[in-house]
Amino acid sequence: MRKYVFIFKSEVMSSLQYIWNILFGFLGYLVILFIFFQLWQYLYSDPSQVIHGYTMEEMVWYVIVTEVLWSSLGGRKLCMKISNDVKSGNIAYNLCKPYSYIGYALSSHLGSILLKFIIYVILGMSLGLLFLGSFPSISILSILVVLLSSILATIISTLLITFIGLFAFKIEDANPFYWLYSKFILVLGTIFPVEFFPQVIRPILQYSPIFAVTYGPAKLFVHFTLENAIEVLCIQGIYLVISYLLCLWLYKKGVKNLNVNGG
Amino acid sequence: MNVIEVKNLCKTFKVKKKEKGLKGSFRSLWHPKYQKIEAVKNIEFTVEKGEMIAFIGPNGAGKSTTIKMLTGILYPDKGDISILGLDPRKARKKLAYEIGTVFGQKEQLWTHLTPYDNFKFFGAIYDIPEEAVERKIQELSTLFELEEFINTPVRNLSLGQRIRCEIVASLIHDPKILFLDEPTIGLDPVVKENIRALIKRMNKEYKTTIFLTSHDTSDIEKLCKRVVIINHGELVLDDSMENLKYHYLNKKIVEAKMKEKVNLEDEDGITILKDKGYNLKIEVDTSKKSVADALKLLNPDNIIDINISNIPLENIITEIYKKEEDK
Repeated sequence: MRKYVFIFKSEVMSSLQYIWNILFGFLGYLVILFIFFQLWQYLYSDPSQVIHGYTMEEMVWYVIVTEVLWSSLGGRKLCMKISNDVKSGNIAYNLCKPYSYIGYALSSHLGSILLKFIIYVILGMSLGLLFLGSFPSISILSILVVLLSSILATIISTLLITFIGLFAFKIEDANPFYWLYSKFILVLGTIFPVEFFPQVIRPILQYSPIFAVTYGPAKLFVHFTLENAIEVLCIQGIYLVISYLLCLWLYKKGVKNLNVNGG
Repeated sequence: MNVIEVKNLCKTFKVKKKEKGLKGSFRSLWHPKYQKIEAVKNIEFTVEKGEMIAFIGPNGAGKSTTIKMLTGILYPDKGDISILGLDPRKARKKLAYEIGTVFGQKEQLWTHLTPYDNFKFFGAIYDIPEEAVERKIQELSTLFELEEFINTPVRNLSLGQRIRCEIVASLIHDPKILFLDEPTIGLDPVVKENIRALIKRMNKEYKTTIFLTSHDTSDIEKLCKRVVIINHGELVLDDSMENLKYHYLNKKIVEAKMKEKVNLEDEDGITILKDKGYNLKIEVDTSKKSVADALKLLNPDNIIDINISNIPLENIITEIYKKEEDK
């Protein structure tokens, strides 16, 4: 375990070089939030109105949380890195090091986004307070559970994107699959809560990765109950195991048939 | 004691073959054709503990594929490999603790971190206790003279400094065998010489077995006592450097400065390489004519200055590669 902590720490040290990039990147996040704040203000004729179980304030907080989770993730970069590692044969050079590539990819990516995640959480919460004036009802327990759920969501997202990146073992370019996945999460998982979609597709969305990577933690932030918390954490636990096993399976299958050009 | 044992090692790659032109591109969508390339064919060799061996061959000969199979990066199709008694296919992780690798064309250091932080990172990767890593960094930074730049980010180092750090990073866990794949590629002659001296010192101090591939004959000549040549995936030569240099071609180069012009012509055992009247350069095949006989032809009284040397190693190796091509 110490080696993965060290990989994580090394990436955190490395990311400190890019602190200004992170801060400038937040500008895009700011624009998205502002647009949604205006949209919800327009859609909710009265701030106390409730649509599909959400008040306007809750809707804005929902988007703030899902966008923090999705924007700080750096999924496109991760998918490209994994896919390039496979295509260039770089992945092979990890085989003669005493660590698991999946563990390496996970700890290295989490380390590289830690700073971004913290900055986005602080700035996102500050913006929410600025726009709305107050938090939804929160307690120390709810904050701790939401934080834990957000960390789990980031780990699951990282594993799922790593899995997509590893498609490069089979196909030339994994990026189109990432594009589809990211649009799926963006449209169905960050902008609107699952309750806003037709009854027919709700069960599918409810148990899709959306639940584990965005909807679950955001829902807990706006509507915290102990039952919700247990349900979200249990589903995230299952997703964590499944996504890890998927990565391991594809990786093991891939490296057996690996062709690395000579030098 | 053998630390590397390779028996009947084979590796074949399946490479997609595309037909010419647009039509061919469309056809290969539905009926892809594959070509089998035998990269390594039945090779066998052993390496003893503490040996410095050069494993060489022209581009595409199969040397990197062999190294990758020895280090567990690639799975062989057939054959047996034993590295320190371990099979890289079955005990890849265990083997990783015992060997070090430096691929001259692949960076393993984190460029944003300093060499010191990189070494600490590698120490953690290999589960070495903190104090032991500190001790090792101190020891290796003295041996490889890294003190001046050990706290400078790797991206700001020169290529020579970076390669020294790459080698140190691969030695942090005290590997018993070090695989060096073109470690001096792209370096200037002075830095190359420096790296060679350091590798030699390391081999002497730690008794590390060195498995080296390089296209630079000076690397091979100055570091290794044994040469293994591979071409078209087959082992074509496995001999000591001494035998290769002094006996393989049985040829000597004689360069002489003469008082008077000599009219010498090619004959059995003698080839004139250069004839500028007073300056002569001839090649003597000692299996057909002795050097003494060649000198008699020049008339020793007529010689002002003379230099007798071996054929450069580069020429010998080129000759071996060519011989294989002709076969």
